[in-house]
Parts: sequence; structure tokens; C-alpha cells
Amino acid sequence: MSGTPDLPLGESVSGVGSVRKIVTVSELTTRIRGVLESTQGEILVEGEIVNSRLWKTGHLYFTLRDEQAQLKAVMFRSAVRYLRFTPEDGIKVVARGRVTVYEPKGEYQIVCEHLQPQGQGALLLAYEQLRRTLEAEGLFAVNRRRPLPVLPRQIGIVTSLDGAALRDILQVLTRRHPKAHVVIRPVQVQGEGAADQIAQGVDELSHEEGLDVIIVGRGGGSLEDLWAFNEEPVARAIAAAAVPVISAVGHETDVTLSDLVADIRAPTPSAAAEIVIAGRDTLVDRVDRLKERLSATVRDGNRNRLTLVLDLDRRPGLAGWPTRLAVRGRRTAELTYVLTLSVRSTFTVLERRLRDAQLSLEAREPGRRLATSRTQLVAAREQLGAAIVHVSQRREGHFRNLAGRLEALSPLGVLARGYAVCWNADRTAIIRDASSVSVGDDVAITLRQGQLKCKVNSKD
Amino acid sequence: MENHIRDFESAIAELETIVKTLEAGDLALEKSLQLFERGVQLSRFCHTRLEDAERRIEILNQSGERETAPDTLINSPKNGN
Repeated sequence: MSGTPDLPLGESVSGVGSVRKIVTVSELTTRIRGVLESTQGEILVEGEIVNSRLWKTGHLYFTLRDEQAQLKAVMFRSAVRYLRFTPEDGIKVVARGRVTVYEPKGEYQIVCEHLQPQGQGALLLAYEQLRRTLEAEGLFAVNRRRPLPVLPRQIGIVTSLDGAALRDILQVLTRRHPKAHVVIRPVQVQGEGAADQIAQGVDELSHEEGLDVIIVGRGGGSLEDLWAFNEEPVARAIAAAAVPVISAVGHETDVTLSDLVADIRAPTPSAAAEIVIAGRDTLVDRVDRLKERLSATVRDGNRNRLTLVLDLDRRPGLAGWPTRLAVRGRRTAELTYVLTLSVRSTFTVLERRLRDAQLSLEAREPGRRLATSRTQLVAAREQLGAAIVHVSQRREGHFRNLAGRLEALSPLGVLARGYAVCWNADRTAIIRDASSVSVGDDVAITLRQGQLKCKVNSKD
Repeated sequence: MENHIRDFESAIAELETIVKTLEAGDLALEKSLQLFERGVQLSRFCHTRLEDAERRIEILNQSGERETAPDTLINSPKNGN
């Protein structure tokens, strides 16, 4: 019975003569902890990470293992902060830390100060991890890339004020587009805090009024020097920028994550400047060409019209219309003649009135009436002038009318009546004979309104 | 005809269409002339936009204000990285 004082267990504990002290679980655990922590100072342990879990508190819990054994591990937030890569399952690392005992659970574990991935460096691993994440989010997708503005009003630059990159960019701009409007956001491009500055710079600059494109980058350097451009904040800021971003980091051989998310990757900062300017050059060229083509259309316009008329002339089906044109031509001549007559008769009337005025002037004594008569004469002359202007305007109107009627007889008029013109594919020759095309050929057809592109299906 | 020109991009696009239309021919003379005049207007606008700018180099500071960049920035000698 549990109530009796002389239990066998009690005897065996005290019955051997020497009295053994009973310890509590806590006391024993503390003792084990003392032994472990004092004999093992800071150690390096090699193993594979499994069951890793980042807690909301920022602490990282995982297990290190090899073929035969496992070791619980923890890394506190203060140390996790300095890790450049994410300790994922399966990564082999060398952990630096101290063995300790977690008393509430009776577990021993290693508290890690640092993790060094094996095989590749921490930076490369971090690069690889972030690259995978961003890629999975689709941030490298080609269809995300925005076209650069052809004519940027303002060009933004995010880089260091005293770096080679800024100097190179400004030199290119000075040479190629001396009137460029540039807005620079100075940032630290390497070291602690650089990534956040760059990210903030890209974001703020991209929202500046009037700014259409951003170059972000720096000159060449070691992988460590370029590191900020491989960090998440920078990559995300570039991906989210309100205007297209050109990334220009280091030399041609350096490919950073900034380069991968940017709308355009320039091999160097100078090249970035060239790219921004290239659009403008192309544009100057394009406008020049358009201007030239515009003048050419007017130069060639009448010639083409004439050719078309002559072509149509030879069509047997349209045989009637040169005659009509001739008829119209004669009518024009007649009208012109009538017009001339009417102009002439108007002049005759006015001339006669002028002569009358002169005669009556002569008939009076030249003395005191002279002034009045002169006024009359001047008025008459003005009247004559006005009449001439009026007549010539009327005449012009007539001619315009006639021209309009001739216009109605132009090929366009023919087309309006339902005829169509069939051309070869590039509209350089009119097709008159079915034998001059083959089945499958493309032909163009001019209607009164618009063009058709057709394919020959069969012919008779 | 609409005389307004919205921006460079739309101007050049319109100019392109006009040139193509004129090149295709088959337009009444009056319409061609109208288009031609508009084309000239647009190409003038484009040229003005291309040439009409003033060199400016500014610095956007942390508080979001723009300052004119010092001359030394543009004409500084080579000074390494």
C-alpha cells in the first residue's frame, strides 16, 4: 500500500549504506546543461538542413542531420537577419554555434550564430533562391517588359553621384542629345542600406511628373560590390516602377536580378544612355522620311492620276468614255467662250460709262467743277476695278465648277459607276488579260471606296 | 478637319496614316490637299518637339525636391569608381 513508510523501493534507495541524494528533473537537467555548455565552446557542425521553419517571431528552427544522427538547431532573429540566403531543406551547411540544452523539453540543440552553405557561396545561393522566387512570380516574363518611350521628356538616373556610371551616362547624353533633361536620384550603390536606398530611389523617381524612363545601375565591381542589385527590394522596386526601367549594372558579363526584372538590360551604363537616345534618333529619321514621302505623294499625285486615265482609256469596255471626255472638253471650251464674251461685254459697258464721264468733264468748264469731276472719275475707275475683280471672281467660280465636273469624269467617277480596276499585288500594273496572272496570285482591286486584296481562285 | 495634336506619338501615328493614304492614291484632289496640309502641320509639330528642348540636369533629393545639379558633376574629370 502506498501509505506504508517501509516500501521496498525506499529500502533499496537507502539500504546500500551510502546515502544517495535524490535530485529533481530540473536539477539534473541544469547539471547536464552545465556539462554540455562548459565542455563544448563554439563549434562548427556540418550537416543537411531538414524541417526548417521560420517562426513569426523571426527565429528559425531546423534540424541538422547526416546519415546516422540528427541535431536540433535554432537560429535567433538577430542572427537570421544577417543571412543572405534562405536556409531551405536539403541545403548542406556548416553551422557555427554553441550546444545548449532547452530545459522545458529536455532537448539539447545547437544555437547557431551563422550558417555557411557548402558547395557554393552564400551569395550565389541567395541569388539562385531569389531568382527562382521571382521567376515563379513571373517577373522575368518577356511580356511584362514595357517598350521605352520613343521621346522621353525627362530621363531619370538612380546611381551614386561620384560613380563612373553617372559620368559615363552624362557623357553619352552630352554627345548624342545635348538638350536632354535629366533627373538624378543619388543613392549609395553598395554596402549596408544600399538596396533600400536604390529601391526607394527607383520608386520615387518613377512617380516624378514628366519623367518617362529610368536608368538604374552602377559601374563594374566585385560580386560583393554589385550585391545590392541582387537584393529583393531592388528587384521588386524595378518590377513595380511606374515607368520603364533600364538596368545597367557593372560590365557586360555581370547579370544581376535587377537586369532580369528590368524592362531592358543594358550591358553597361554608357550603353543604357545610348539605348535611351536611340529612340530619338530613329524618330528624327522617321519624321524626315515621312516628310519626304509626304512631298512625294503630291509630286507624283498628278502623274499617277494621268497614268490611270490613260490606262483606262485603252480598256475596250470603257471605250465610250474618251469620247465623252472630248464632248465635255468641247463644252468646256464653249463655256469659256461664253464667259469671255460676258466679261468683255461688262468691260464694254463700264468703259463706255467712263468715256461718257470723261466727255462730260471735258464739256464743262475746267474751273470750279474740276475737283468734283475728278472725284467722279476716280469713283468710276474704282467701280471699274471692282467690276473687273467681280467678273474675274465669277469666272474663277465658273472654272472651279467646270473643274469639278471634269473631276466627275475622272477615273474616280468611272469607279463610282461600278467599274473597278484590277492591279497586280503591288499595284504597279493594271491587269488587262487573265493570262497575265496565275491561279493563286494576289491581286488588288480599286473600288470607288477603298481597296480589296484578292487571290485568284480560277480563271476561264 | 481636327486641328488638335494630342502628343508626339499620336502626331507621328497620324502622319504615318496620312502618308500611307496619300500614297495609296484614289482620293479626290480636294481631300488629298486637305490631308497634305494636315500632314505638313503634323510634321512641323514633330520637328518642333524633337528640337525644342533645353538641357537640364537636376537632382532629386531625399525629401523629393529637385535641385539643379552642380556644373562639376557634368564636367568632372575621370575619378575612378
